[in-house]
Order: sequence, then C-alpha cells, then structure tokens
Amino acid sequence: MSAAAEIGPDGGLLRVSSDKISRLMDLVGELSLSVSATVHSPDLAGLELSAFDAAVHRLTMIVREVQDAATELRLVPVDDVFKRLRRMVRELERQTGKKIEIVLEGEDTAIDKLVADQLYDPLLHVVRNSADHGLEPPDERRAAGKPEVGRITLSAAQIGSEVRITVSDDGRGLSRAKILKRARERGLFGPDEEPEPSVLWKVIFQPGFSTAETVTNLSGRGVGMDVLNTTMTALRGRIGVESEAGKGSDVALHIPVSLAFLDCIILRLGARLYALPIDAVSEIVQPAPADVMGMGATGGTEMLRLRGRWIPVCRLERFYDEDTGAGLTPLDRMVLAVVVTAQGPIAVPVDEVIDRQQVVMKPLVGRLARVRASWGCALLGTGEVALVLDCNGLSAGGGA
Amino acid sequence: MAEDLTRTARAEAQALSETDNVDDMYLTFAIGGEEYGVGIGGVTEIVGMQRIMSVPDVPAYIRGVINLRGKVIPLMDVRLRFGMAERAYDERTVIIVLDVADAPVGLIVDGVSEVLDIAPSQIDRPGQFGRSTKTAVMGLARVGDRVTILLDAEVLVGDGDLALPAEMVV
Repeated sequence: MSAAAEIGPDGGLLRVSSDKISRLMDLVGELSLSVSATVHSPDLAGLELSAFDAAVHRLTMIVREVQDAATELRLVPVDDVFKRLRRMVRELERQTGKKIEIVLEGEDTAIDKLVADQLYDPLLHVVRNSADHGLEPPDERRAAGKPEVGRITLSAAQIGSEVRITVSDDGRGLSRAKILKRARERGLFGPDEEPEPSVLWKVIFQPGFSTAETVTNLSGRGVGMDVLNTTMTALRGRIGVESEAGKGSDVALHIPVSLAFLDCIILRLGARLYALPIDAVSEIVQPAPADVMGMGATGGTEMLRLRGRWIPVCRLERFYDEDTGAGLTPLDRMVLAVVVTAQGPIAVPVDEVIDRQQVVMKPLVGRLARVRASWGCALLGTGEVALVLDCNGLSAGGGA
Repeated sequence: MAEDLTRTARAEAQALSETDNVDDMYLTFAIGGEEYGVGIGGVTEIVGMQRIMSVPDVPAYIRGVINLRGKVIPLMDVRLRFGMAERAYDERTVIIVLDVADAPVGLIVDGVSEVLDIAPSQIDRPGQFGRSTKTAVMGLARVGDRVTILLDAEVLVGDGDLALPAEMVV
C-alpha cells in the first residue's frame, strides 16, 4: 500500500502488458482450484478439524477476493471504443450528407479488455445502420417536424454482472411492413403470422438479411448484422431491439462484464458434467408422470407441462447424437432444468443437480472447438471439468 | 554460427539446450507391438494416466478431457484413432501432451520408450501408403535393426479418416 503511494505524477497509473494479466488470471484460477483440491483432499475424510475448517473458510474468502481483484485488473472503461465510434460518425456525416449529433453516456462503465477489443466492429455496424438507414436526410426530418440534426446516443451501464450498451437513434424506426415482408419471403414466418415486435426485430440479425433497397457503401448488404451476431455469440451476449415508427430505434447489447468467471449451475447426466449459466436457468423441476408426454409424430419429441403450458424437452443424448443403447431414463425419474432461449423456454433433463458455483471458464480450442451448443469448459472447484451449455444453441440445433 | 542461433532464436535455443537439432529428435512410444514416433518439438510434457472426464459431440477416439493444472486437454486414444482393438489402461499407459496448431491435445499410448535422434537420411518417405489419400504416417525410420513409424501429429489430430497402420506397414 505505502509503495503504491510513491508512484509518480501520472495519477499512479502503471502500464502492464495484457499477457502478464492473463498469466495472473490463469494462476488465480489454478490457485482457487488447488485450494479446493487441498480442502477436499480424501486424506482429510472423517477427521475432526475445527481449527482447520476455520482456516479454510478464511482462505476461501481471500481466494475469492483475489479472484475479484484479478478480474478487475483487466477491466477498462468503454470510453475508448465510444471515442473511436464518435470519430467514425464524423466520417459518416461526410459520406451520407446527414447532420448527426452523437451523445455518449456512461462511458466510464468498465468492461473486460478482451470484450472491449471485440466490441468495436459489431458496434460500428449498428452505428452505421443507424446513420445510414435509421436517420433521415435533413429535409425529410424537417418535413416530419424533427430537428434537422439527427441524434445517435451511445450509452453504457452495468446491470448486475452484465454491461448493457445501447445505440439509440431518433430516426424513422424499423419498418414493420418491409421487415415482415422480407422475413416471410425467406420463410421465417408464415403468410398469416403476426409476430410480436421484439421477435420480428430479431430477424434483422439473421445472416444475409437486409431490407435495404439500395446497397450503399455503408451498409445494406446484410453482412454487418451477421458480424454482430457472431461476435455476440462469442461474447456470450444477447441483443435486444426496440423500435417505434417515426421515433427511432434502440439496439441494446447485453454482455457479461468478465469472460473469465461465470456463475453456473452444475448438473450431472450419466458420467458427464454440464454447467448452465445461472442467468439462463429459470427453474428446476421434477415432473410428475402426468406432466410429460412424447409425440411420435415428431420423432418422439418429449414435452413437459409447466403451469399448464407445454414446452419442448431437449435430451442432451439426442442432441449430441449419442448411442443410447440402453434407452433413455423416463423423464419422471429425472430433474429438468428449464432454461430461457431466444426460441422460448426448453427443458433439459439431467440425473442430478450438483450445486451452484462460480467456475473458471476455458475456451474450447483445437479438437474441442466444434462441440456444438457450448460456450466453453468450466473448471470446477473439485478440479473436474464441465461443459458449459449455450441454451440458444440447444434450442436452435433441433435436438428437441 | 551457434552464437547467431542463440541470438536470433533464443527461446528455441533454450528448449534445445545442449542438443544439436530438435527437428531430428523423436519421442518414441509403443502401441501394440509397434513402435511409433512423434517430433519432440511439439511435445510439451508426458503425464501419467489420470481421471478422464467425458465430453459430448466428439468422435469415439477422443476419450474426454483432463484438467492439467488448469488447462483443459482433450485426450485421443491412439489405438482407437487407428481402429485398433481397445486395451484397458494400465500402469504403463501414459499421456503424451502435444501442442498442435496452438492447441493442446493428449495422446494415450501404451507406453513411452525413448527420445531418438533420427537424421533425415534414416527416414524413408514412401509417397503413398495403402489406398487412403490421407495418412498420419510421415515416414519409416530405420534405427539399428528396428523400424519406427513416424507420425505427422497434425494429420493424426485432424479429423480425416486414416488408413489403418496394418495396411501401411511394409
């Protein structure tokens, strides 16, 4: 502490390479695993160790704090990303001939450097879209009784363990008619289906989806939103869109503050461990026989009745095309985790819920990179490895 | 000359330590009655058998993953990869941890033998073994009166179907 006070006139800032911080994060991860291995050592089984237990408690608390402190080291304000975007908007003004005022809010919100580095490109596409399609040319704005200068607001705020970054404009808003027409052409909705706005807007993130009549230099090729989608999946984030005709649109990106640790529920199915991010799980149920049914018509898809509503069951064994020689355990003898997905809730049956814990996340690399519907591996306190499930991947993958 | 090398590629030189050329060095291991080798450059460590945790959505020859000091490493059973008979792991079974294209992978083999220095002149590289277009066999090394089958780690760890070694061995 006293040494830190001696640091020079630059406000006590140190430049540290991100490699060093990554190394520290890895070591902290290993530290917490080793502590856990020591504490749960089989050699201690059956011993009465009251002083030891108190020391373990203290140690665990400290490790948790070290973990938090290490995570914080890598947090940077979103300010840098925002400022780069602001420069880009100046450029867009020249290219489009529109007048754009850019407003930044919450630019000191902190976010993992690894996340911040990946945010610029997807945000750029959102901002471009707003400038190009959202905001009207000055004369159109005047005619609509709006100020001539269009406004794009970039705002960031931390909400729990998530950071929400919103790009709002006061332009013409998304065109329900155009998007719905295009979505129907692509078979995303039936000719008579009238989807909820929040569901409809999401289709603009589909690969290759664009309603722009003219492909401009800036946007409209339907590629940008796809980039956004890919990055958001990689960052375990979600996208929300709101829009009102004539008033403008808001695109909100919800991203976890840190990619290194994740609060999960640990589940066991057969010999395997799986982890579900805590935010994805809405409840855990043990169904009665009357609350489950199979539908031969759709290849044996099973359904679970939850408060009068039937929701699809996604068997992981089926999703991963496994040989289930001995047959599957009947659902009424299993525990079902009900998870939220973009397509609505689904139920994932498992043999046992083990516990809830903060896990150290490891990306799937090399031979594991192609495991479907997963965000990575979770290292548990016991040293075991669980696969972290991406619930949207599960519901989209058609296993159910 | 040697000084130049140390200066330009210090990290590599450190790994080399006193040996002459890491490219000519192979770690050999046994599978069934056969002796195989992989370039030592890609080998990061050799560890004993440990608890394997099964993962979904991988071919049967990927037995699962281990947690090696905080690193998640997928394990490939080389016998199964070659379509050979499965064999219960015993105290000689080891895991050779390799770094292939920046990703770690562990090979489960019947046992490790030694590190051999094999000059390129000792290696036969027949153009094609068997009918398959893809083979993990890089060449056959003559070491004394033995033959060591040298493997290309990248092909071995990749996805392609491999021709059976039984067809390949001369």
